[in-house]
Amino acid sequence: MASAPGRSRPVGAAWLVVAAVALYVGGLLVVPLLALTRAVLADLPGVASALTAADALRALALSVGLAAISLVLNGVAGVTGALVLTRQRFLGRRLLDALVDLPLAVSPVMTGLAFLLLFGRNGLLGPVLQSLGVKIAFALPGLVIATVFVTLPFMLRELALVLEELGTSEEDAASTLGASAWQTFWLVTLPNLREGLTLGATLTVARALGEFGAVLVLGGAITGRTDTATTFIHNAMEERHTTSAYGMALVLAAAAAALLLLLQRRSQMPGVK
Amino acid sequence: MSPSVALLALLVACSGDTASPSAPSTAPPATRELTLGAYTTPREAYGTAILPAFAAAWKAKTGQTVTFQESYQGSGSQARAIVEGFEADVAALSLDPDIATIEKAGLITHDWRAGANAGIVSRSVVVIAVRPGNPKGIKDWADLARDDIEVLTPNVRTSGGAMWNVAAIWGAATRGKAGGPTDVASAEALLAGILGNVKVMDKGARESMVTFETGVGDAAITYENEVIVAKQQGKAMDYVVPTSTILIENPVAVIDANVDAHGTRDLAEGFVAFLATPEAQAAYAKHGLRPVDPAAAPTDLPAVTDLFTVRDLGGWASVQETLFAKDGAYDRALAKAQAGK
Amino acid sequence: MSAPAPSAAPARRVALSDHAVALLLRGGFGAYVTVLVALPLLTLVYRGLADGPAAAWAAITAPAAVAALKLSIGTGLVAALVNGLAGTAIAWVLVRWDLPGRRLLSALVDLPLAIPTLVAGILLLALFGPQTPIGGALAEHDLAVAYARPGIVLALLFVTLPFVVRAVEPVLHELDPAEEEAATTLGAGRWLTFRHVLLPPLLPAVAAGTVQVFARSVAEFGSLAAVSGNIPFQTLTAPVYILGEVEGGSPGSAAAVSLVLLAVALALQPLSHALARAAGSRRG
Repeated sequence: MASAPGRSRPVGAAWLVVAAVALYVGGLLVVPLLALTRAVLADLPGVASALTAADALRALALSVGLAAISLVLNGVAGVTGALVLTRQRFLGRRLLDALVDLPLAVSPVMTGLAFLLLFGRNGLLGPVLQSLGVKIAFALPGLVIATVFVTLPFMLRELALVLEELGTSEEDAASTLGASAWQTFWLVTLPNLREGLTLGATLTVARALGEFGAVLVLGGAITGRTDTATTFIHNAMEERHTTSAYGMALVLAAAAAALLLLLQRRSQMPGVK
Repeated sequence: MSPSVALLALLVACSGDTASPSAPSTAPPATRELTLGAYTTPREAYGTAILPAFAAAWKAKTGQTVTFQESYQGSGSQARAIVEGFEADVAALSLDPDIATIEKAGLITHDWRAGANAGIVSRSVVVIAVRPGNPKGIKDWADLARDDIEVLTPNVRTSGGAMWNVAAIWGAATRGKAGGPTDVASAEALLAGILGNVKVMDKGARESMVTFETGVGDAAITYENEVIVAKQQGKAMDYVVPTSTILIENPVAVIDANVDAHGTRDLAEGFVAFLATPEAQAAYAKHGLRPVDPAAAPTDLPAVTDLFTVRDLGGWASVQETLFAKDGAYDRALAKAQAGK
Repeated sequence: MSAPAPSAAPARRVALSDHAVALLLRGGFGAYVTVLVALPLLTLVYRGLADGPAAAWAAITAPAAVAALKLSIGTGLVAALVNGLAGTAIAWVLVRWDLPGRRLLSALVDLPLAIPTLVAGILLLALFGPQTPIGGALAEHDLAVAYARPGIVLALLFVTLPFVVRAVEPVLHELDPAEEEAATTLGAGRWLTFRHVLLPPLLPAVAAGTVQVFARSVAEFGSLAAVSGNIPFQTLTAPVYILGEVEGGSPGSAAAVSLVLLAVALALQPLSHALARAAGSRRG
């Protein structure tokens, strides 16, 4: 019904809009990035040695690990949830749908606070956890929970979008031909989700790597235990180790750029298949 | 099979990653881990000097290798983090009340003030950091209330340094050394005048100093050792010692609940004992602190005309009541400062 | 996921086990989301009110808290307005016009989604901090960006840039050129065409994106922790205020103020959904 409108060359006043857009995006995004790059290039050996120090590598490894765990957990939850929310109708579906979106709206500090109130020593589950010997706040599990929380919606939303656009016709056809539910899922649904999975994975990893507020409050940024790449930058700024801070910031920005290349597929809109 | 069960299993698996066992009958392993919760300012003193020195001394004595986990944040915040579940073995905080917070939560059960030097490991004084050459001619507390001055001091809710700063101003005023009458109202007025000039209220003394270095403010009220460390790292600034200022005394305490749970009591007590040794005191001195051991005290730090302690103000209990309780002098002064805007 | 139910017995068996699987998935997912999302947020609500409604109200109406909330909402509105306009313009440029560098622009617009907010704050400090050329120049004219409200707005503009663009782009892509051509052949000028053919489908999308910008701005923490200065009543936003309450030993007060932000987020959600649905329904 709809096709991509033909592109035209801008005329007259339209060029002003183009110029304004270029200036806005350039000033807001490009110039600060260049400033950071310049600061790093000014002391490349210093940055290199700072980034290969044990605590920097540990922080980076922790962030990558948290991103990986979030990807796996929320990947499974995303596929499951997308199917459940788009293909099933049940009491409470709307509520579940709304809950899934909440992590997007909740401030990271509140996320950290909420989990601290739940799992901290004085939290609701504090005594229970202590008697079980389980440490969540100020320890690795806390970071995992916080990161999984903030990355929950991304995979699910991308997949739900795709599933809604696809409709159930292919799956219905497979069922009438005798395929079991599992076969239908594995051979029909999943391949169709491939692009959504890539997109969702990219957004999940990006968000996980960038998480700061929640891990700061719940984890405590303890060097050697709960120091992620972002809290590393925070600590480095405190210690006046601007080389470490800028270096790690550039690493994260570069990772962001790499993820962007994967995100670029979004520009090719899924409307036309 | 359900994701939530898997998550729970993962969490339990992850939480079993602490270092030492707690069974007292077996010999401690070759590698021990000590967790330190400290305030912001002595980052370098502990991180680069004292912890490695202790590790070397401990290895020489017991053959065990020690690794550390460190956290540095505002003293008040650190105390609360420990109460909330941060399992530090040793707390090295800025002031007595913050250790008391941990004690009140039941995590410290021994009389930590009965230790060497009454539990104090390092000292400093509250000073005013200024730009090189002191272009605005700041000489004393009253100058900070001038119209043309922008001041930095941290937030008293989170920062121990901020509390020392306020106590210093208050003490100087009520002792008649701040150029005005010694009554409470005048002291409050001075405090309000200074607070009204505050440009940025950071979470900790270190954050405040870093902000000062980025060019914000004409003066920063801070620890003397904070300024000295900044200058050692090449930052351009000077500092002014007011006529009357308070002696900062930093306590350290072993956290009984955590060391017993981790099986690190001997290590933690050894660490605290180490802090009183000449080697550690010299390390503190190298990082701008005034050590508690007069023999190790460097002689080139400026003398203070009227140096008073918190005991001269009636002790921490009284000071907290007067200054930092809800609607105490600090709150009133802050409100007055805001009203003046 | 449910198979149609034919009358043959074996097929009915298939339908039953399918149904069981569907229930299992629904239950498992429901449990996951409940434990992960509902539980902590309910804890937050509980703690916010646990000291009694009077204490919660006192915490929320504390002058510093009110100022922080006002600042968050005010800067959020400014960001929503600016990025609402800018985002629409950017989407227009990306979709409707044939220009070199479109790919680059598209990539740049997505960048804030991937960059950690703390890094965004550091970037802005590297450019506008007091000791930078720009910062220094501004200071000479008694202006400030870093540690001042303009800095807050800039940080928000940075992190929320993609939202309106992402909301508007698909709508622009799906526009039927036939409608525009029809309007032109009927004699409508460009402005009339815009108002009656293009604007109606665009508005819900722009509104949806703008609401997202606002919601995101109010919740922003990482970049503002670096760049705003955190002076109560002046540059202290709500999330940073909440952190201060947490670190200052008042979790109840922090939770109470969090409830306000939570209420704002919850109120905006159905609005955002409705707008997104309205935008989507215009398509295809």
